[in-house]
Amino acid sequence: MTSKYEFKKIFESIFKEYLILGAIAVLVLVTSVVQPAFLSVGNLSNVIRQFGPLIMVALGMTFVIIGGFIDLSVAGIISLVAVVTVHFIDIAGQGPALLIGLGIGLACGILNSALLLTSGALTQAEALFITYGMSLVYGALALIISGGSTKHIFWSENNTNLFEIIGSGSVGFFSTSFLIFLICLMVLYLLQNYTYAGRVMRLTGGNKTAAELCGININRSIIFIYAISGLMSAIGSIVLISRVTTASPVIGTGYETNAILAVVVGGTTLSGGKGSVMRTVLGTMLVILLSNCMNLLGVSVYLQYVLKGAILVIAIWMDNRKQS
Amino acid sequence: MKAKKIRFLSVIMIIFMIGVLSGCSKATDGTATKGNDSTSTNGTTDAPVKVAFIAQNMATEAMAFAAKEFEKYGADYGFEVIILDAKGDAQINVQAVDNAVAQGVKAIFVTPNDINAIIPSLQSAKEAGVIVGMFSSDLPEGNHDARDFFVGVNDNQAGEAAAQAFINHFPDGANIVEIGGQAGHDAQNKRHDGFNNKLEGTNIKVIDYKATQQWATDQAMAIAEDMITKYGSEIDGIFCHWDNGGTGVIQALKAAKMDNVYLVAVDGCRAGFEQVKSGEQSVTIMQNFSNMTKKSLELAKDKLDGKEVESVNFIPLDIVDLDNIDTFTAPEW
Repeated sequence: MTSKYEFKKIFESIFKEYLILGAIAVLVLVTSVVQPAFLSVGNLSNVIRQFGPLIMVALGMTFVIIGGFIDLSVAGIISLVAVVTVHFIDIAGQGPALLIGLGIGLACGILNSALLLTSGALTQAEALFITYGMSLVYGALALIISGGSTKHIFWSENNTNLFEIIGSGSVGFFSTSFLIFLICLMVLYLLQNYTYAGRVMRLTGGNKTAAELCGININRSIIFIYAISGLMSAIGSIVLISRVTTASPVIGTGYETNAILAVVVGGTTLSGGKGSVMRTVLGTMLVILLSNCMNLLGVSVYLQYVLKGAILVIAIWMDNRKQS
Repeated sequence: MKAKKIRFLSVIMIIFMIGVLSGCSKATDGTATKGNDSTSTNGTTDAPVKVAFIAQNMATEAMAFAAKEFEKYGADYGFEVIILDAKGDAQINVQAVDNAVAQGVKAIFVTPNDINAIIPSLQSAKEAGVIVGMFSSDLPEGNHDARDFFVGVNDNQAGEAAAQAFINHFPDGANIVEIGGQAGHDAQNKRHDGFNNKLEGTNIKVIDYKATQQWATDQAMAIAEDMITKYGSEIDGIFCHWDNGGTGVIQALKAAKMDNVYLVAVDGCRAGFEQVKSGEQSVTIMQNFSNMTKKSLELAKDKLDGKEVESVNFIPLDIVDLDNIDTFTAPEW
C-alpha cells in the first residue's frame, strides 16, 4: 500500500516538475510533423532571435517574483529606455547612448524599490499598483521625449553598428543576442544560487517577517531585486530596438504580461520564495515556441490569445495545488 | 537611519533621471499647444472659438501627429483646440466627449475606440448644440445622424489600393502573405476586407494571413520570420497593414536574404517614405493627416457659419512608390 502511495507521489511530483518539458516536447513534435520546416536551421535561428528581448525581461521578473513582489513597470521602462537610447545616439554616440539606456533602466528599478519602501508597500498587491503607476509615468515620459513618434536607429547621423551587431550579428550559429542572454543567465544564476543576496532574496520572498526577525535587511534585498529587474528590462529593451531597428514610445506594451506568463509557466511560485532563472528559460521557451508553432500551424491570433490565457491559468492553478 | 538612506537613494535616482531626460528636452520643442493665437485667417482679432480633438489613444503615433496638426492649424480657422486623450478605452472616450461639452466647446472632432459605444454621448453632444465631426473612423451605417460629418480615409480603399499595387506589379500572378495590424481593430478589419475583396477573381493568391496582437513592429517581424520559414521562396510579396510593421518585415527579409519580395504597406509615414526611397519597401499607401485635419477644421467652421456640409468626406489616398516619391512632401511623423 505504502509503495503504491509513494509511487503515486513520485509520479505526481515528476508530472508537476517536468510538465513544462512535456508541453514543449508535444508542441515541437506536433509542429514538426505537420510543418517539417519547423526543424529547419532558419526557423531555429528565428526562435533564438525571438527569444532575446522577452527572456531578458523575464529573468529580471523572476528575481522580483522570487522576492515576493511583482513588477508591472517593465513595459514603461522598456519604452523609456528605447526612446532615450536612440535619442542619445546622435548626441553622445552609440556606446554612451547604450550605457545611458542601461543607467535609466537601473535608476527606474531603484526608484521603484525606493517608492515601495518609503510607502511601506511590502505586499505583492501593493507592489502591483505602485509599479503599474510607475509604468504609466515611464511610458508618458517616453511619449513626451519622442513626441509620440517612432524613431528609427538608421536615421541617426552617428554610427550604429553596435546595435546592428546586437540585433542581427552572430557568432557561428548563435546570434549575438543569444550570447548576451547566456552571459546574463550565468550571472543571474550565480547571483541567485551562490551569493548572500540570492539567499536573502529567497528568504524575503518566503516570509518577510521571519527574514526580518533573523536580522536580514529586507530593504536592501528589495532594492536589489528591483534594480536587477530594471537593468534586465533595459537590456531587453536594447536587444529589442537592435532587432527591430526602431524605438517606438509604446514598444514595451505587453512585455509585462508575457514576462509574468513566462516566469509563472516556468514554475516560479507567484507567492514568492521559490523559483529559478533556469525554469524561466523553459517558460519563455514555451511562450515563444507557442507563437512560432501556432503561426506555422496557421492558428488565428484570437485562438493564440485563448491558449496563452489558458496556459497561464493552468500554471497558476497547478502552482496553488502544489502549495496546498 | 534606514529610511534616510532610502530617501537619499530616491533623490539620487530622481536627479539622475532628470539629468538624463533633460538631455532629451530638445525633442519636446514645438509640442506646446498652439491654436490659441487669436488672429484668424480673416485677420480678425475675435476671441478664438474653443473646439476639442478627442484622440482615441495618444500613445499611437498617428494620433499624436494628428493632435499636433489640430494644434498647428486650429488658429488658421479661428479655433483654440484642446486635446483630450481617450487612452485606447471606449469608456474614457465617452467621458472625454462629456468633458468637452462641459467645457463649453463649440465643436468636437472624435476618433472613437468603439464606434458603437460612442454613439449615445455624441447624440447628447449634438443635442447640446455642439458640432460633432468624426475623424479617421466613422460611425456605423444607420447612426450617421449622431454626427455632423466624417473626415478620413477609407481603410477599405487602402486595402484595395494595396491589392491594386500587387495586381499591377504581378500581371502573371503571385503568392502574397498578408500581415495585419491589431486584431479586431477597425482599420485592420477594413484593410483586410478591402485587400481580399479586390483580389477576388485575380491570379494573385493570398497564401497566408496573420494579424498582430498590437500594432507592434516586433510582432510583425516575428510573423514575417515564421511565414518565411513556412513558405520560403514561394513568397512573392508581402502586404503589411502599416509602415512601421513593414520595418520589421524588412529586417526579417534581410535576415533571410530575400531581397526580391515586393513589400506594400499603409500609412505613408516617415518610415514608409524612407523605406520606399531606399528600395527596401516597394509601395506605401499614404493617408494624409494634415489634409484630414484641415478638412475637419474647415467643415466645423462652415457649420458654425451656418453652411451645409458634406456628410462623408474621404481624403484621397496617395500611392507612393520610387517613381513618384519626389512629388510628395515627406511626412513629419
